[in-house]
Amino acid sequence: MAPTVSGVAFAILAALCVGGAVGMLVARNIVHAAFWLLEVTIASAGLFLLLDADYVAIVQLLVYAVAVAILMIFSIMITLRRIEDAVRPRDFSAVAAALSTVFCASMLWVLRAFPQAPSQELPAVAPDVAALGKLLFSAQGWSLPFEIASLILTAALVGAVWWTKEGDE
Amino acid sequence: MRVGVEPFLMLAAVLFSLGLYGALSKKATVQLLMSLELMSIAVNINLVALSRFVTPQTMEGLFFAIFTMVVSAAEIGLGLGLVLAIYRQARTSEVTNLTELKG
Amino acid sequence: MDWLVAIPALPVVAFVALVFMPRAVRNKALWLPVGAISISTVLSIVAFFQMHPAEEGVTEALWNRSWALATINGKAFELGLQYDAIAAILLVVVTVVATCVQVYSLGYMHRDEREGWYFAVLSLFTAAMLALVLADNLLLLFVAWELMGLCSYLLIGFWYELEAPRKASQKAFLTTRVGDMGLMFALVVIFQQCGTWELAEVLGSVHTWTPPVAMAAAIGLLFGAMGKSAQVPLHVWLPDAMAGPTPASALIHAATMVAAGVYLLTRMLPVLEAAPPVLFATLVIGAITGLVGGLLAAVQHDVKKVLAYSTISQLGLMFMAIGSASVVATLFHLVTHAFFKSLLFLGAGVIIHSARTQDMREMGGLRKHMPVTWATFAIGSLALAGVIPFSGFFSKDEIIASLMHAHQTWAVGVVLAVSMLTAFYMTRLYFRVFEGPEQTEGIHDGHKSMLFPMVVLAAITCVIGFASPSFAGFLGEHGEWPSVQLIALSTTVAALGIGTGWWFYGRPWIVVNTAVYKERSAWLYNALKQKLYFDIAYDAIFIKPFMRVADFLWGFDSRVVDGAVNGTARGFVLFASASQLFDKNVIDGIVNGIASLSKNVGSGLRSLQTGRIQSYQRFILAAVVLLMLFLVVKGA
Repeated sequence: MAPTVSGVAFAILAALCVGGAVGMLVARNIVHAAFWLLEVTIASAGLFLLLDADYVAIVQLLVYAVAVAILMIFSIMITLRRIEDAVRPRDFSAVAAALSTVFCASMLWVLRAFPQAPSQELPAVAPDVAALGKLLFSAQGWSLPFEIASLILTAALVGAVWWTKEGDE
Repeated sequence: MRVGVEPFLMLAAVLFSLGLYGALSKKATVQLLMSLELMSIAVNINLVALSRFVTPQTMEGLFFAIFTMVVSAAEIGLGLGLVLAIYRQARTSEVTNLTELKG
Repeated sequence: MDWLVAIPALPVVAFVALVFMPRAVRNKALWLPVGAISISTVLSIVAFFQMHPAEEGVTEALWNRSWALATINGKAFELGLQYDAIAAILLVVVTVVATCVQVYSLGYMHRDEREGWYFAVLSLFTAAMLALVLADNLLLLFVAWELMGLCSYLLIGFWYELEAPRKASQKAFLTTRVGDMGLMFALVVIFQQCGTWELAEVLGSVHTWTPPVAMAAAIGLLFGAMGKSAQVPLHVWLPDAMAGPTPASALIHAATMVAAGVYLLTRMLPVLEAAPPVLFATLVIGAITGLVGGLLAAVQHDVKKVLAYSTISQLGLMFMAIGSASVVATLFHLVTHAFFKSLLFLGAGVIIHSARTQDMREMGGLRKHMPVTWATFAIGSLALAGVIPFSGFFSKDEIIASLMHAHQTWAVGVVLAVSMLTAFYMTRLYFRVFEGPEQTEGIHDGHKSMLFPMVVLAAITCVIGFASPSFAGFLGEHGEWPSVQLIALSTTVAALGIGTGWWFYGRPWIVVNTAVYKERSAWLYNALKQKLYFDIAYDAIFIKPFMRVADFLWGFDSRVVDGAVNGTARGFVLFASASQLFDKNVIDGIVNGIASLSKNVGSGLRSLQTGRIQSYQRFILAAVVLLMLFLVVKGA
């Protein structure tokens, strides 16, 4: 990539993201909604690539696009009694819409009103996967959070298994 | 055309708001969780964008994003397990039925 | 001689003991009062024989004992008893008559429900009379005086279930009360003058009193005596008092209570002598009373009423004797009258019980079937009529003698007129009751317990007349047998009276139509029938206005006073309801309002707790958004 972010690429990917999000929200079929989410994850992975964050993009794809999406689809399938139940009404809430709109508007206004210095310039130095790996596993880096993260995952795994177990225990 | 950090932040804000709307209004629990994931994605975009533009050298935002991904993966796993448990109990997984906290 | 205290004390003890017993026990414990009075009689007789004849004109105390009760104003307040010649005689008379009456009452009141109470009051009464006679100061005398009034009230109204005894006892009490006002007044005057009520001191100091003081005291004493001794115009209670049991009448209205007034004046004779107009007034009042009593007795049909008016008449004679300043004559007639009058009353009781009526027009021929009663009653009648050799003859002649001694010749005429009337009405009574055709069936004589006392009294009546001179000597005066002229005079008068009575009522071969005579003397006869309008006058002058005032006050009380009270009560109730309304609506309203306010606020707030996650999320988001807006606005 050039030391500047391509506007066109950004525009396409951003449109894909927002469109996917909207599609997810307005989809009446839950399975369709899950697929729209999958599309959003892929589009955001594309945005990560645009920002020279290769590792994060791959992780995003692996975790979200593959695991999470498949999880979602499987749960949907398990919790459906009939195929017809997948289609549901659109669940519109005026309160939620109002609140979200206000929230969005204020965020955008803030972003507009307080421009940050390094807004246009794309720094020359780009993140490097090797450097990232080194930092990740170094003691003064992120090794402790790394271990804790794996602990979290283990706990979540155990928890999920326990919760979804059959029987009275 | 050069795109600065702002468009990324604005995109993230919009995505976040959309996710927020979904979290607040969807009745099916799975849809709720999907909206939460959307918010998480928006946050990741924010983090990565800011990391790239502010601290490219130390890549702090990237690490933050990785770990949030880990946590949210754990969270989604548990959440979906929760959905299954609720489904087993109540034969439905609608949020409106979970009203035991009703005062 | 301190045992003399027992003489009045024993009946008091009997009274107190009987009072505290329940009725059933009391009715069986009659040996107690009868025994007490018998012992008192014996003691009185013993004491009598220990009494020496007094010196000339002075009755000095053989025994005197006082008890200090309290200290008032530095001076010791004492009450005491004294025993002198007068007391000696009267103690014997009162106890003997009382014992006879109590023994008679055992038979007469035999089946009465409240027999025990009757004996209790009788004992108390006797004790009071004995205390009166033994009192050494006027206060104790007054207390005994009032106590006798109370017992008289209780005994006259003994059968209070009936109307007549109730009204009669009230009348007796109130009429004597009027007299008692005079006595109280006299006591106050005496205390003011002498600083004490001791009889000895008072009587000793009489010669130092100023005439007004003496008059005041004397009038008061006379008034008191008039009430108790039924002198005109306070005599109206005595005939009505016949509603009580006959033996009670015998004791109270013949021998004792009515004699109390006479006794008082006899004791206080020095005071009366210090106020000659009052002494003369006593004489006049006695004369009027004697005549009125005699006239009224002659027109009565009720046996007991005849005797009652006869008593009034004889008391009048006693007052005349006092008016002649003779202690001996007064007391001698008092003594003889006590014996024969109580005898006559007791006999009347037996007659009435037997003939089952009190109206002598419905009686007749009782002589054959009631020999003992006939004999004793005859003796009593002859004594009352003043026929020799019975006691009444001697005592009446004493009175006549003393009146002549005091140069009150007109009074002698009155006494003779009274004697003739007495003889007349007693003869009328005798012939109506004992002679003539029988009108009732199944007549029998009285029970032994009733006849025995009558015989005793009759015996005394036969004998006591002959004690006339020694009686006088006992009291320290010189006594004589009546002169021949006097004997002739009084015998003639008595014969005239008896003869008239025989002429009208006694001849068995003619029944005289008295209606003619009644018509001819209509004005007198009707007046006498109406008891000389005394009762009517009192009713109109005193009773009716008093009742009107009482009615008015009652109306005032119930309307105004009760109205005020009820009105206040109603006001309170209104106020209470108003308070209740206020409390219920306003206060409770406030309290309930606060409570419901809390409840509503709570319910309102509760609706926030929907239990739905998304609601909570929205709230949180709303708060965050607000915060953001705030910051944005602030930043802008």
